Amino acid sequence: MVTRINIGPVHPSTHGVLRLVADVDGDTVVNLEPHIGFLHRGVEKLVETRMYMQNPPYMEKLDYIAPMSYDDAYVATVEKAMGVEVKERAMWVRTVLLELQRIASHLLWLGTMANDVGQFFTVFMWAFTDRDMVMRLLEEASGARMFYVNMRIGGLIRDLPPGFGEKAGEVLAYIEKRIKKYENFLEKDPLFTERMKGIGVLSRERAIELGVTGPVLRGSGVGYDVRKNNAYYVYDKLNFRPQTRSDGDCFARYKVRMLEMAESIRLVREALAKMPEGDALGMPIKLILPSAKNRMVSLSRETPRGECLMYMVADSQKPYRLSIRAPTFINLAAMPEISRGCRTADIFAISGSLDLVMGDVDR
Amino acid sequence: MEDQPYSKERFLNAEKEMSELVKASMAGHESKPNVMFAKLSEVSKALSKGLVDWSRVRSLWPLQFGLSCCAMELMDFGSARIDAERRGYLFFRATPRQADVMVVAGWVTKSMVPEIKRLYEQMLKPKYVIAYGECATCGGPWWESYNIIKGIDQVLPVDVYVVGCPPKPENLYAGFMKLQKKIGGEIED
Repeated sequence: MVTRINIGPVHPSTHGVLRLVADVDGDTVVNLEPHIGFLHRGVEKLVETRMYMQNPPYMEKLDYIAPMSYDDAYVATVEKAMGVEVKERAMWVRTVLLELQRIASHLLWLGTMANDVGQFFTVFMWAFTDRDMVMRLLEEASGARMFYVNMRIGGLIRDLPPGFGEKAGEVLAYIEKRIKKYENFLEKDPLFTERMKGIGVLSRERAIELGVTGPVLRGSGVGYDVRKNNAYYVYDKLNFRPQTRSDGDCFARYKVRMLEMAESIRLVREALAKMPEGDALGMPIKLILPSAKNRMVSLSRETPRGECLMYMVADSQKPYRLSIRAPTFINLAAMPEISRGCRTADIFAISGSLDLVMGDVDR
Repeated sequence: MEDQPYSKERFLNAEKEMSELVKASMAGHESKPNVMFAKLSEVSKALSKGLVDWSRVRSLWPLQFGLSCCAMELMDFGSARIDAERRGYLFFRATPRQADVMVVAGWVTKSMVPEIKRLYEQMLKPKYVIAYGECATCGGPWWESYNIIKGIDQVLPVDVYVVGCPPKPENLYAGFMKLQKKIGGEIED
């Protein structure tokens, strides 16, 4: 007999206010339907009424776990519409900050994910303490703790503070050690591995067909990463390769994110060593006028959750239309398929492994 | 839903009613043990009035309920760096029936209002609400949005407002301290 159960929208294990309606036969999930829209506030409409550089704060609140990645994507879109080149040093600084943001985002994911599958609050406490060290670095570089708004057209609001390299080196060395500790702790624990291995398998072919991106796609064995395939800033000058795993289950997605954190640490170190001297300051926010040639621009960026694509129709002072391809929205679409046939308790392992941010899904 | 979840007057009125009921039921039996009991209850009542407030101030259990950005800072508040438990803001509860404080962390959409109301009604009295962040305080940056209500105080009675976008976890800590003072009677309702 099939029973319909309702999970959420306020449920401690769904990341954000997501409502899941599950049809279960005994303990097996027959069908699952995500219901979204509990955080919808019409960002795409709101930005049309504001001038270009009033919008980054709105963009940051889309993906509040990794705000800087969206800030960067929006400012880069405006830069493309204006036809402005980013200063050489600013490109390096942005790369460093974006990779630090990726580490912070994945640490938060790790804590909440481990919470969902039974590591009750141990890893959560550790990961949040480590994340706070990275956030303090970002706070030093930008001046704000969570919503940075430090990108300006052609550069940044301020250069990296003196002594940033040494501090970042210390923090990264510490976090590198901690990542090994997490891996040791979690992968030897049958509680964690049995709830992750073989759960929520997404095959390579279906992953491509469904259009998932980011760690979910790379966990299914596709080595697609915007940083590599469509390199922006200085990623082509750095020694970087996308991390993939071929299993396609929750554990593969977990492993991809752990490897990505290690890769980001390497990237930050390399970028800090190779960073040229010079000017990184951007334009004052009032001198914004897009050129008539680039009326329609689109641009994609690799956020910690996947590929974010921004399509903008520029107008004289405000964007005429801004359309956002949110990575988590597309990744959520894969959820009904991969949770069919799993146990009811595995729904939370799957929703956790997709790394959903409902602010990004609902917009 | 009532306007005020917990007011001292209502609490005292209820106590008066109870004591009158007890007196009425004891009217026919004026034996010694009952007198003893009545005196003991008076003593314990006087003691417990202070005791209940004292203990309530020192064990506030927040509801594990996050909406958006501020929920990230709410999680940080619950993590090891702030260590909120040392002042009695205990473990986040997953069910409203075990919680005392609801921290509304994030923007409130129209579709979310009935859910929040329901959660609030499921909480046991006395219950308190903290509006955490600009969006829950007044709508914040989404003031002009068509789907956001302009502050949670349009739906629920708010005890403490914590402002910022998002406020640091330390600010929430200060907000909880203010709530403690309010429950302890140092700040008037």
